[in-house]
Amino acid sequence: MLTVEHLTKKFSNGKGIFDVSFSVKEGEVFGFLGPNGAGKSTTIRHIMGFMKPDNGYVNINGLDTWREQGKVQRFVGYLPGEIAFFEGMTGRTFLDFMANMQGVKDLSKRASLIDRLQFDVHTPIRKMSKGMKQKVGIVAAFMHDPNVIILDEPTSGLDPLMQKVFIELVLEEKARGKTFLMSSHSFPEIERTCDRAAIIKDGVIIAVKDIHELQSMQRKLFEVTFESNTDAKSFINSGLLIESHEGTRVRVAIQGNYDKFVEETAKYRVRNIDIFTQNLEDIFMNYYERKGMIS
Amino acid sequence: MNATLYKQMMKVYMKSFTNYALGSAFYIILMFWLYPGIAQNSKAIDDLVKSMPEGVGKAFGLNGFSSAEAFISGEYYGLILVLILAIVCVQLSTQLMARLVDQGSMAYLLSTPTTRGKVAFTQASVLTTGLFLIMAVTTIAGFAGNAWFLGDEYEFDTSTFIQMNAAAFLLFFAVGGISFLVSSLSNDEKKALSISGLITFGFYSLDLLGKLSEKIDWVRNLSLFSLYTPGEIVNGNANLGTASIILSAIGLLSFSLAILLFRKRDLPL
Repeated sequence: MLTVEHLTKKFSNGKGIFDVSFSVKEGEVFGFLGPNGAGKSTTIRHIMGFMKPDNGYVNINGLDTWREQGKVQRFVGYLPGEIAFFEGMTGRTFLDFMANMQGVKDLSKRASLIDRLQFDVHTPIRKMSKGMKQKVGIVAAFMHDPNVIILDEPTSGLDPLMQKVFIELVLEEKARGKTFLMSSHSFPEIERTCDRAAIIKDGVIIAVKDIHELQSMQRKLFEVTFESNTDAKSFINSGLLIESHEGTRVRVAIQGNYDKFVEETAKYRVRNIDIFTQNLEDIFMNYYERKGMIS
Repeated sequence: MNATLYKQMMKVYMKSFTNYALGSAFYIILMFWLYPGIAQNSKAIDDLVKSMPEGVGKAFGLNGFSSAEAFISGEYYGLILVLILAIVCVQLSTQLMARLVDQGSMAYLLSTPTTRGKVAFTQASVLTTGLFLIMAVTTIAGFAGNAWFLGDEYEFDTSTFIQMNAAAFLLFFAVGGISFLVSSLSNDEKKALSISGLITFGFYSLDLLGKLSEKIDWVRNLSLFSLYTPGEIVNGNANLGTASIILSAIGLLSFSLAILLFRKRDLPL
C-alpha cells in the first residue's frame, strides 16, 4: 500500500535521511519511531510529496508521491506535526473549507468525529489550545474517509482521555481495513496501536520489527522500595541489572526478564514499586548501542 | 485554478481590497473636488512650479494644471496611487505564498487532491484580481468625481484617463509578478517581504533619482517604473504600446516562473 524505497535526502548541513526503506501493508498500522531530529518528519514530507528525493521514491497505491502530486491525495489523510491553520477561521469554517477542497459531500463522518472528540467547532482557531487544534487536525485527516492515513505525532497536546479516544478511533479504522503510518517519539503511544514499527536514528533506519519483538527488546526501569536495608542489599545480589542503590531504594533495569524480576522481588517485603518513563534512546539503549558498534 | 481556494482567499482578502480601493477612490474624488479651485489659479501655480528646480517638478510629476487629468496625473497617479499599489503588491504577494509556507498551513492545501501548480496559479489570480479591483474602483471613482465636481465646465479627456489607469494596472501586474516570484521561492515570510519590498521600492527610487537629475538620467532605464509615465500619457508623448507589451510580458513571465519553480521546489512543511 505504501512503499518507501531507498529514500535519500541530504541537506546542506550534512543531516538528512539516508537509504530509508520500508513498506506498509494494506490494513496495517505502522509506527515510525525515533528521537526528535532523527528524520521522521523529513521522511513524512517525502511521503506527502512536499520534497523531492535525491534518490529513491515513495509509492502509495502504486503512485509516486512526488511525480503524481494531486492524485495521491485523493485517498490520503494527513495530520501535520506542527499544526498551522489559515488565519481568521473558526474550526467550523476551516473544516468546511477542507471538506470542499477534499471534495467531501457526505459530512456525517465529520459530524460523528467532532462529536467524539468533543470540541466546540465555533471557536476561532487563534483562540484554541494546542490540544483543541490537534483535534481539528485529526477531524480534517479522517473526515474524507481516506484509505491511507499519515499521522505525524498525533497525540501531542491531547489529554489522556482524548488519547484513549484517539487510539479507539485508529483501531476502528484499522478494523475497516485502513492503512496507517504514525510517527512518534514515544514508544508507549506506538505500542497500543501498531502492528509493526520502524526505528530511525540520525536519518538511518536501524530496525523494522514486529511490535511484540520491540516490546521484548524494550528496557524498563523499576524503582523498588524495600522494607529494610538488608533486603535491599540481598536483592542487589540477585543477578538483575542494578542501575542504582540508595538505602532501601533500588533501581533496576529490566529487559524482557519480567519473570525473574517478579520472582526476585517477591522474596522480600516490598513497600513500593515505581516505573520510570524514559526516552526512546533509553528504552532501546542496548539496541542502539549494538547497532552503533556494528556500524 | 482551484475554485474553492479562490473563493476562500477572496473572502479573506476582500476586506483589505475594499479598504485600499475605497481609500484610493476617496483620494481621487478629493482631487477632483480640489481641481476647480486650483484651475482658477492655475497660472500662479504653474509659475510656482516653474520657480522650483526643474528636476523636482519632473520627479514628482508636476505636470501643469491646465486640465483635470494633467492635475490628477501629477498629484495622484504620480505618487499616492503608486505607493498604495506598491504596498498592496509587496504585502499581498508575501501573504499569499511565503506566509503559508512559513507558517505551515500550505501543508493542508497540498494534502488535498489539488496540485501545487493549481495552488500557485490560484494565489496569483487572487493578487491580480485584487489589483484589478482597486484600479477598477479608482477609475470609476474618477469618472464619478468628474461628473460630480467638474461637469462640462472643465476639460477632461476620458480616453487618456483610461489609458493612465490601464498603464498603472500593467505596471503593478509586473511589480506584483516579481514580488510573487520572490514569495513563491521563499520559506521565510519576513525575508520574502524584505526582498520584494527592496526590489519594488528600489525600482521606485531609481526612477525618482533619474528624474531628479539629468546627469544620472540613465538609472531610470534600470527601473520598471520608467515604463509608467502618467504625465507623458496626458501630454500625448507616451509610447504606451511598447510599455504595455513590456510590462505585460514581465508580469506574465514572472507569474509563470513563480508557478513553475514552486512546483519543483522542496517545501519545509
